[in-house]
Amino acid sequence: MMSSKAHSSNNIAHARRTVQQLRIEASIERIKVSKASADLMNYCSEHARNDPLLMGIPASDNPFKDKKPCTIL
Amino acid sequence: MCDQTFVAVTFGPCDSCSKASPLMNIYIKNEPINYCSFCVEMMACQGLQKGETLASLKRECDNLKKKLEEERGKLNDVELHQVAEKTEVLGALSVKTRRVLKGHGNKVLCMDWCKDRRRLVSSSQDGKVIVWDAFTLNKEHGITLPCTWVMACAYAPSGCAVACGGLDNKCSVVPLSLDKTENLAAKKKSVAMHTNYVSGCTFTNSDMQLLTCSGDGTCALWDVESGQLLQSFHGHTADVLSLDLAPSETGNTFVSGGCDKKANVWDMRSGQNIQSFESHESDINCVKYYPSGDAFASASDDATCRFYDLRADREVAVYQKDSIIFGASTVDFSLSGRLLFAGYNDYTINAWDVLKGTRVSVLFGHENRISRVRVSPDGTALCSASWDNTLRIWA
Repeated sequence: MMSSKAHSSNNIAHARRTVQQLRIEASIERIKVSKASADLMNYCSEHARNDPLLMGIPASDNPFKDKKPCTIL
Repeated sequence: MCDQTFVAVTFGPCDSCSKASPLMNIYIKNEPINYCSFCVEMMACQGLQKGETLASLKRECDNLKKKLEEERGKLNDVELHQVAEKTEVLGALSVKTRRVLKGHGNKVLCMDWCKDRRRLVSSSQDGKVIVWDAFTLNKEHGITLPCTWVMACAYAPSGCAVACGGLDNKCSVVPLSLDKTENLAAKKKSVAMHTNYVSGCTFTNSDMQLLTCSGDGTCALWDVESGQLLQSFHGHTADVLSLDLAPSETGNTFVSGGCDKKANVWDMRSGQNIQSFESHESDINCVKYYPSGDAFASASDDATCRFYDLRADREVAVYQKDSIIFGASTVDFSLSGRLLFAGYNDYTINAWDVLKGTRVSVLFGHENRISRVRVSPDGTALCSASWDNTLRIWA
């Protein structure tokens, strides 16, 4: 008798917790994908020239690139 | 003010559920109680409000889920790749293997760069943690841990320590000594304690706090000096496999992903799960923030990587190809966020155009699964760790 009461109050606590969580998630402010996409694109283009892997930088500026061709053993 | 000394019990049996776990030391009506963090949360949810029943709560749950779907759907006015059509197409990357780091005797499971852009730490299935100078291939430190499968390692922001953890259910911090003869393992300090394996760890913005995620389904924030549990994060319903801290400008949040196929965004101070994303069809192995902090990417066993925008609160891109059938284990962005490097179980690394959704390059070289890819702090190189016992530097 006692254990089933504890079990059901645990279920209720779980359900309340889920409801509280969903309320928080449902209430957040959202923006349109078109606006979000434009902002992502702006960020990429603003930082593109400082992105070595994207732009490729000369061997003299990249400590990992050897000045002469190397053979991979 | 008070001249009593209190013994703060930080790990032990919970007064409520009796499971051995990290404990929160709280006071109810001046009585100290030691509850595990989950029971503390559940205590706040006890008891029915007027008129609530289990059935009415379940109904409200379903209604809220539907509302969430509708609200998200309303803002989906265009796809990211459509907006990106006017951006120029990227040429193939001229990225090649520049270094091969050999020295681990078994699968390399994790790696992390030091802020100095040349050192890195790696950890392996055989319990070894190695600190390398990636320019010279010099092994600067070697630490042998008593456990196998060191799945997580991280470099401290100061460069003076590393954190590591795995099957021992702990995450320890090891200060790096300038004295090469010193036995570093002896100075190892246990900081985090979980009730299952530690899958990921990262220092926050200083050496003082450590964030961990675990197979026990939780993430946790720890004080390194005292080992105290500062905050714990409940919400995943299965093993958490990865976490990533938001770039410092965007405030105190982090994202986690796990075997429940969910990616959750958390507020570090309150422990609150603020956003949740469930679109993958299998375990999420890795999550990583986009450099602006407004989005993040995930890698999954469902052979796709996905991109989620936090302000639009939805998935905005899926990186997949029919020819890619093996799980993706790890992702990282290039400095501008235009490229997404993803490591797969078919031994390759794919570089994706984040905006257009197309694949730009494939990096071949490793002879087994890729466990981790990380772009260096100044963006000049990519490091990959693999089950072939090596790490590679690509530039």
